[in-house]
Amino acid sequence: MEENNLQCSSVVDGNFEEVPREMAIQFKPPLYRQRYQFVKNLVDQHEPKKVADLGCGDTSLLRLLKVNPCIELLVGVDINEDKLRWRGDSLAPFLGDFLKPRDLNLTITLYHGSVVERDSRLLGFDLITCIELIEHLDSGDLARFPEVVFGYLSPSMIVISTPNSEFNPLFPSVTLRDSDHKFEWTRMEFQTWALYVANRYDYSVEFTGVGEPPAGAENVGYCTQIGIFRKNGGKATESCLSEQHDQHVYKARQGLTMLPRLVLNFHPQAILLPHLPKMLRLQVFTTSYPSLQQERFFKLVLVNEVSQQVESLRVSHLPRRKEQAGEQGDKPKDIGGSKAPVPCFGPVFTEVEKAKIENSPTPFCVGDKFFVPLQRLLAYPKLNRLCANEEMMRSVIADSIPLSSDGSAVVADLRNYFDEQFEF
Amino acid sequence: MSGRARVKARGIARSPRATEVGRIQASPLPRSVDLSNNEASSSSGFLGTSRLSTNDKYGISSGDAGSTFMERGVKNKEDFMDLSICTREKLAHVRNCKTGSSGIPVKLVTNLFNLDFPQDWQLYQYHVTYIPDLASRRLRIALLYSHSELSNKAKAFDGAILFLSQKLEEKVTELSSETQRGETIKMTITLKRELPSSSPVCIQVFNIIFRKILKKLSMYQIGRNFYNPSEPMEIPQHKLSLWPGFAISVSYFERKLLFSADVSYKVLRNETVLEFMTALCERTGLSCFTQTCEKQLIGLIVLTRYNNRTYSIDDIDWSVKPTHTFQKRDGTEITYVDYYKQQYDITVSDLNQPMLVSLLKKKRNDNSEAQLAHLIPELCFLTGLTDQATSDFQLMKAVAEKTRLSPSGRQQRLARLVDNIQRNTNARFELETWGLHFGSQISLTGRIVPSEKILMQDHICQPVSAADWSKDIRTCKILNAQSLNTWLILCSDRTEYVAESFLNCLRRVAGSMGFNVDCPKIIKVQENPAAFVRAIQQYVDPDVQLVMCILPSNQKTYYDSIKKYLSSDCPVPSQCVLARTLNKQGMMMSIATKIAMQMTCKLGGELWAVEIPLKSLMVVGIDVCKDALSKDVMVVGCVASINPRITRWFSRCILQRTMTDVADCLKVFMTGALNKWYKYNHDLPARIIVYRAGVGDGQLKTLIEYEVPQLLSSVAESSSNTSSRLSVIVVRKKCMPRFFTEMNRTVQNPPLGTVVDSEATRNEWYDFYLISQVACRGTVSPTYYNVIYDDNGLKPDHMQRLTFKLCHLYYNWPGIVSVPAPCQYAHKLTFLVAQSIHKEPSLELANHLFYL
Repeated sequence: MEENNLQCSSVVDGNFEEVPREMAIQFKPPLYRQRYQFVKNLVDQHEPKKVADLGCGDTSLLRLLKVNPCIELLVGVDINEDKLRWRGDSLAPFLGDFLKPRDLNLTITLYHGSVVERDSRLLGFDLITCIELIEHLDSGDLARFPEVVFGYLSPSMIVISTPNSEFNPLFPSVTLRDSDHKFEWTRMEFQTWALYVANRYDYSVEFTGVGEPPAGAENVGYCTQIGIFRKNGGKATESCLSEQHDQHVYKARQGLTMLPRLVLNFHPQAILLPHLPKMLRLQVFTTSYPSLQQERFFKLVLVNEVSQQVESLRVSHLPRRKEQAGEQGDKPKDIGGSKAPVPCFGPVFTEVEKAKIENSPTPFCVGDKFFVPLQRLLAYPKLNRLCANEEMMRSVIADSIPLSSDGSAVVADLRNYFDEQFEF
Repeated sequence: MSGRARVKARGIARSPRATEVGRIQASPLPRSVDLSNNEASSSSGFLGTSRLSTNDKYGISSGDAGSTFMERGVKNKEDFMDLSICTREKLAHVRNCKTGSSGIPVKLVTNLFNLDFPQDWQLYQYHVTYIPDLASRRLRIALLYSHSELSNKAKAFDGAILFLSQKLEEKVTELSSETQRGETIKMTITLKRELPSSSPVCIQVFNIIFRKILKKLSMYQIGRNFYNPSEPMEIPQHKLSLWPGFAISVSYFERKLLFSADVSYKVLRNETVLEFMTALCERTGLSCFTQTCEKQLIGLIVLTRYNNRTYSIDDIDWSVKPTHTFQKRDGTEITYVDYYKQQYDITVSDLNQPMLVSLLKKKRNDNSEAQLAHLIPELCFLTGLTDQATSDFQLMKAVAEKTRLSPSGRQQRLARLVDNIQRNTNARFELETWGLHFGSQISLTGRIVPSEKILMQDHICQPVSAADWSKDIRTCKILNAQSLNTWLILCSDRTEYVAESFLNCLRRVAGSMGFNVDCPKIIKVQENPAAFVRAIQQYVDPDVQLVMCILPSNQKTYYDSIKKYLSSDCPVPSQCVLARTLNKQGMMMSIATKIAMQMTCKLGGELWAVEIPLKSLMVVGIDVCKDALSKDVMVVGCVASINPRITRWFSRCILQRTMTDVADCLKVFMTGALNKWYKYNHDLPARIIVYRAGVGDGQLKTLIEYEVPQLLSSVAESSSNTSSRLSVIVVRKKCMPRFFTEMNRTVQNPPLGTVVDSEATRNEWYDFYLISQVACRGTVSPTYYNVIYDDNGLKPDHMQRLTFKLCHLYYNWPGIVSVPAPCQYAHKLTFLVAQSIHKEPSLELANHLFYL
């Protein structure tokens, strides 16, 4: 049994507030998970690059989304700083992320602040989610919410979820589902509001929900109602980012760098005095993930894959002691794979890939040195994916892996220490 | 020179830190207590006591340790157990002063920093209860942390015990919080203790605070240390990554709370377990793949890709595939493939891979049975090095080269760490809210004790450098050598030529050192281990004094099978030499000299001596390590000098299962050693000094309660009237402090013979540091000595100098070594038994240094 699982189910992944204690109706998976899964599916489908979660709470949704390879910027905003701080660290890259870096850069930033303040750092997003958020806003904030989120931030897509009050009678003795809820809407109320907002800011909206009602009560609708808003006329132009009206109001703190003077360097316009105090507000947390877009990690991965492939070819090239009997050891021979024992697992190639590998230059031996042409390496799908051409491969690996004098092949000693250990 | 393990044996030519990055640690490291990091879903796989050492090292911060803390109480923590043992107060002669006097004073910079806090600083320990009670520790912590009453206060909380640096107004504080489900939870915070800064609990909390701080500097805790994975160093030819980092700790030295930090590296392999297995399969072929694979992998620590956890591989389940299902906690069945896709968005590409099995100890419940976790090889990265890798000289050299840091390089790293702590706003905030202030780096005064003369047969030589006197003694005759008349050389056809030329050389150099070597019988054998053993069985008769084997390859089986047979089944001294070693052009003379010296020792000869002012002194070395094959077996090696000159040694090696058994076998050994002494000297030794190595954290108590009494009773029983006086000294090669001398604005290694016995030592112990090894390019690490029992009542100065003298007597290296010779011999013996022989060597060899 996988261990992580044991932990999750006891505390449902940190979402303690959702641990159902008295609820008569229990959702499986729990309702909050269904909501997050809903967002995740949407992300999988639309592959947004920049995603912000307003009212991110303890950042559970962000943690779920960060594994998505398409996202490059993930932002969380919440008014409760303690919560951001408390779980914020868990958004940092795992140790494994340094060993197996992502393809694309990813930055995760948490801001402390109100969702109804304009902040230029949230401009140009592909998706903004407001999961169980609006019901916590008082009437003033609720009134300002559309103008800020739809009008000012104006992302390509917005997802808003909120309780469906028609479902509430199915719970025992519940008027509002949370003491901090300012209201809970019926489907009609939510849809009226949503359609009005969508209309006003030129979005189209589609309604759905999660949390199926129990049999016999289908008419109350989903427990959580969801509106998906899409901006009419395609994606937002990213140019809004470069506009001069930077308005940074969320409190934010650099988690990694030392002092905020860096911020000044990045934003020359911040020198304008009126903006300065706002600019110096700190983020609660920010972290950058290692990725193949970063030279250091790209090199690490490429060098690694090359050494592994060379090693694999070298080993299969070694004459085996038992088979060797009368055979000449140093004779170059083709190692298409027929001779090597069939491993019970390991990479499996398609016919096309196989053909590509077989048509590439073969490895060869000169004396006690073993040569693998870079062209051969490029034929392997894993390496081909990383590296488009020989020139690029050469320049990246040259100072880590020995190359032949003309630079066209990797050179290795035919035999090494470990070979002796495996002679039987 | 025997092919293997030569590097291990001597004190030079090897970066002292090289062992540190390796996988094996003889001493069980204490588990970390981590109250702070309650939010991170971290774990450490503890698998029962027998494997504590490896696991603790690699368990990533134990998030559950807090509850352990709660259940077991503070006193049991290994980290702090040793500190509560005050041995010095029982030793009258050092109660007032434990410092030596001889030698030249030298000013030293350390890696220790003052940690300042107000005089009246106190820690307040509270107990927190919840009504209704909450099972989830995470929820408990969340509720307490988010309460306004406690925000902005420095706190450490594990779900039950709360530490504050500021006292709450009331002794009992009642708070209530509401969960988001609208439930009201009452929290009662009750003051339990007020702790002065000297309390061991405070030290624990200080350590927690610093762990928090290092995390804020974007470092990751692995085991007890912190690493920075964003600045990896690569060794592509060996598929290794090294993460730089620090070992840190806060503790009391002589009356002062100090922060210490040392550079450390984490070795990671740039391959997943699946990649490792695939490569292995290509090598071995299918026939013996599973067996080899298990042998290679079991016991290794892996890091999983999808969380920050480490697991040890306890087994491989070849029958389970990623497409199989398992039952989740909620009872639903799911395949591994689907689980990883759903949970982590990871696609498992290889559906035929087997599963790694790791034993987990159930959370928050100490006595429940272990649970199994299945891990997918594709998602696990290997950490550390296999035994095989550590025996690869090239690989270890590459690692050493990367990790070697000059004293000034080390000093720069330290300075940067301190600077980061002080400049990072989060880190500084953390320190300040606790009322702590980071102070200056400690400087202290040590002494360079006088150098030693080397006594040869008819010559007293004052070496140019104690690091290596091979040149100084080249023309001198060794003290005593038995003539070698009947012996065998085993070699293959290929190596016969090299064997002959080597033999000529050997006889020449042996002759000049006074060691007569007659012509051996040369036997040609086929190139496989079995053929070597067969030939030995065939040709060794009772007259054969020594068997030399010219090994065609480095393959471990050769060495192991020969040593096993000749150390226990048919006890004859043996000398293995790699053919490759003999092929080194221009090195033949020095290689032959070294081998001649080893052979002399194996036949019972004596090479050199130093002046020992004490008459009738027996020195004893004890070392313990784990058997390489069966890790629950402990190999105890004991070595005792059997002449007053300290040039002849008696040894025993015993295999045991528990620490108390170790104590018992010490008695057996000691009695044997005293009998031997009596036989050769017709009296018992007046004094016995035992150097005990291989002591892990938290074992001091066992030593004092079991081992010392056993040693005492064997000494008492051996004599009817006055018994020998005994001292027991714990020797540790690994210790936190580092010392540098400051020269022309840069720091350097202190000279050989530097002794430190103040400030960096501990008030409650009779302890000192001695530098008796050379690090040519790296930073030297001092050896730490703790005298835990002392009837002899030698002046501290004499104890220090005697220890220094003993570091000159290791015959495998013509120079000073990092520990006293008896310890190094004991280490060499246990290493041979643990790695190659796996059973007790024959007592017939006990009077010879057959294990060199």
